Amino acid sequence: MSSIYGDQYGRLEETMEKLLAAIDGIRDEMSAETGMDPVEHTLGRIKSEESMREKCRRQGLPETEESALAVLHDAIGVRIVCAFLDDVYEIRDRLAALPALEIVEEKDYIRHAKPNGYRSLHLIVRVDGRYPAEIQLRTISMDTWAALEHHLKYKKDIGGNLDLITGELKRCADELASTDASMQTIRDMIRTM
Amino acid sequence: MRVLIAEDTKDLNHAVAVLLSRSGYDVDAVFDGEAALEKIEENGYDAVLLDIMMPKRDGLSVLREMRARNVTIPVLMLTAKSEIDDRVEGLSAGADDYLPKPFAMKELLARVGAMTRRRTTYDPTQATFEDFFVDGGTLELRAENAVRLSLKEYELLRLFMTHAERPLDEGFLLEHIWGGERSADGDTVFLYVSYLRRKLIQIASHAEIAGERGGSYRLTKSA
Repeated sequence: MSSIYGDQYGRLEETMEKLLAAIDGIRDEMSAETGMDPVEHTLGRIKSEESMREKCRRQGLPETEESALAVLHDAIGVRIVCAFLDDVYEIRDRLAALPALEIVEEKDYIRHAKPNGYRSLHLIVRVDGRYPAEIQLRTISMDTWAALEHHLKYKKDIGGNLDLITGELKRCADELASTDASMQTIRDMIRTM
Repeated sequence: MRVLIAEDTKDLNHAVAVLLSRSGYDVDAVFDGEAALEKIEENGYDAVLLDIMMPKRDGLSVLREMRARNVTIPVLMLTAKSEIDDRVEGLSAGADDYLPKPFAMKELLARVGAMTRRRTTYDPTQATFEDFFVDGGTLELRAENAVRLSLKEYELLRLFMTHAERPLDEGFLLEHIWGGERSADGDTVFLYVSYLRRKLIQIASHAEIAGERGGSYRLTKSA
């Protein structure tokens, strides 16, 4: 069976590298200005053949290059994990200002948290007018919650009191969000002293 | 502790004011109902003493206006002996206590003391202001999104809610939330106000805390 990405896999990797390099450029810029690297870490991945096909099936799309590269937007996925809340938006603004990059769509799950407590800023961007990529921006706290919640997901079908577990996970998300707000406030306070 | 006395009989007003300030209260004294409402708009009080028969606006009307504006400061009504209906009306309009004239100064002092006694436990009830909701049981603060507050943040927010739309100065906030903590100062107040500001934004509420660092702060619906 041929790849769902046709012969474009190399181009996807190239685009992802370009995006990661652009993010590194923003990091360097901000580090030079403030003396602090705003980014804790970045991650980039090309969605695996298997999960891309699975996603097409789930969404009732034909398993074609067209679906993978044009209809769906997350063949290329990049995650930027920031130390502080305000840096998430600062990096968003700086990405938007890059000539080679166009923000096609923005979903702010920080301003509008998902009902389960999930928080992140999702951007769909187009690099050089070519392939779309999904960028997820979040703080360390939000990343921690998403990672831990993911581990627990596998056990969901075991049964038990699901409402209690869901409610408690939401509480943890809200407590972490509260900590993000406090840490940002402390940084603001330090900068005015 | 700050107390407002609204009583039009000059001698009585003066006597009560002197007694309360000698007992360690900060006292503001006014002589009519309109002045009382103005003072309540300007300052935070721990108790208000209202005479019923006053010029411009009577005590019951002041009380109703306070409660209509969600001002929950404890109120002690001062009533003449014959005004039984007034007492009943006062209590049902939201007064916390009444004292029939003539009264012994000792008793007045005891009643003010009981009303203003600092609560050693936090308020575990639920409350709302504008578009947000806060739950004393879980310390959850919620509008579109939710966060959890620390105990100090919660107590500070409840104090702002009790005195909604009115400026509270640093000294008042320090006394009520950090009473007795020597390390707390204006920076502490500003930091905690800043925490609450961030958290109100985070839950996407339209309420905000107005005011500059070092001055007074006021919980308000945003413009």
